[in-house]
Amino acid sequence: MTPLILTLRATAPFDIDLSAVTPDRLTGVKVADVALTGGRQLGELFDITGEDSQNIIIRNPDERLTHIGAGMREGVLTVEGNCGAYAGLAMRGGMLIVKGNAGDFAGAAIAGSRQGMRGGTIAIYGNVGDRAGERMRRGLVLIGGDAGAYCGANMLAGTILVAGKVGLMPGFLLKRGSLLLSRAPNPLPATFQDSGEHSLLFLTLLEKRLQREGPTLAHFLPVARTVRRYCGDMACGGTGEMLVFI
Amino acid sequence: MKLNGVAIDDTFAEAFGMRATRILITALNLKWAYHAAHSLTGFATSVIGCGCEAGIERELLPDETPDNRPGIAVLLFAVSSKELAKQIERRVGQCVLTSPSSAVYAGLEGEQVSLAKNLRFFGDGFQMSKVIGSQRYWRVPVMDGEFLGEETTGMIKAVGGGNFLVLARGQSEALEACEAAIAAMSKVRGVIMPFPGGIVRSGSKIGSKYKALSASTNSAFCPTLRGAVKSELTPETGAVLEIVIDGLSESDVRNAMRAGIRAACSLGPTGGVQRISAGNYGGKLGPFHFRLHDILQ
Repeated sequence: MTPLILTLRATAPFDIDLSAVTPDRLTGVKVADVALTGGRQLGELFDITGEDSQNIIIRNPDERLTHIGAGMREGVLTVEGNCGAYAGLAMRGGMLIVKGNAGDFAGAAIAGSRQGMRGGTIAIYGNVGDRAGERMRRGLVLIGGDAGAYCGANMLAGTILVAGKVGLMPGFLLKRGSLLLSRAPNPLPATFQDSGEHSLLFLTLLEKRLQREGPTLAHFLPVARTVRRYCGDMACGGTGEMLVFI
Repeated sequence: MKLNGVAIDDTFAEAFGMRATRILITALNLKWAYHAAHSLTGFATSVIGCGCEAGIERELLPDETPDNRPGIAVLLFAVSSKELAKQIERRVGQCVLTSPSSAVYAGLEGEQVSLAKNLRFFGDGFQMSKVIGSQRYWRVPVMDGEFLGEETTGMIKAVGGGNFLVLARGQSEALEACEAAIAAMSKVRGVIMPFPGGIVRSGSKIGSKYKALSASTNSAFCPTLRGAVKSELTPETGAVLEIVIDGLSESDVRNAMRAGIRAACSLGPTGGVQRISAGNYGGKLGPFHFRLHDILQ
């Protein structure tokens, strides 16, 4: 089967909530008739080709497309460019690939919910906005570029990797989980305490898994295998960690 | 039937169903992987007194292990799922978690049984879970860094108690033949020979004159009892040694027995090897029967 390809016809004059476009929600339905916010249907905004709803590709995207992969549970969803806020919001499984930048709240929680992303993988090749992975409970977020402020804030568990720079207050009130950074944050949050340099075995396992899923993903991980570990957030018990590659 | 001049008895080895798992132990180098593996498989010769039967299956190259370090594959066998789970937790907790630089991973798929699932509590709240792919791992802080262990391992139905007996002119000839057999059998995947060096000299029969004992010495194969009991030995036989095999499948046990018997017989009568036999209970107790003649055909 060929992938289900949705090509945006023209830049939308308003935000389009694409939370209805996930592999699990498009299975067994007429794709063109899927309702979007504002009373519009998918077929009115996108050219639709292919039929494999477990492998969806969104072409010609822009920042007006929000909530891509929100609540996704399975399959692969690829965005061939930039997208807007809330990508992978409260995601539960599968893989979301954004081959450009993503907006704020990528992999974060629905407003009012205590838990954000609960499974799966989000791979963003470019930059992300603020609060990526906020209240994340499980899963993996890979950010190829820079991350905005409050990356991994209130994180409960899971793993976030930032290959570029990270903004202010990463891991703010992080309870558990791992924030992997290729560069030390500036300034380092006062509630993270230096635990020294370590070679951690799980990084090898993570690298091998990324290599298995695709050589492109493995490039997100820095070559170095030694990290400086910062325990934190000490304001939340200090059982989480920020690992900075050396 | 004769193999290289050595008589092969028309008999069979009787084996039983067991539960088994494979565990992969890695360490900074092979020396420390062996320390952990030897410790874990210590005092695990027989389920009668040890709770499980365990042994080293083979060495693992770095590219065969999850963390790219050298390692050892270990097999554990027990009579029930519950006992196997108990033995895994106790042995991994005391022998692998404690061993410097070690990590432990599942080596089999199948019904899941705890591996590091409960050992994580040693971390006193500082343990961390990492789900990588579909597997959950536990990172437990220890004094040399972190102990990494996969949460569960797979458990399958297996075969325990495959065996054969080597009858020889004397003790040294029997031992030499069995050592050759063990060297050949060690190359077979999916099996272990749980006794010391893979060889057992105290083969047993069911029952005893003492009510408290369920098994006692295999008097029919004891050379010093010839004349006192109904012996299976001819006057020329001076020593008998047994090799017991546990395998993940019937075919694994069969392959190991074939390799072992051929290697033992390669010494021939000039090397003092006289007969190959096997232990059974009349075929009434164990569901797996390994007929020596069938195996060697």
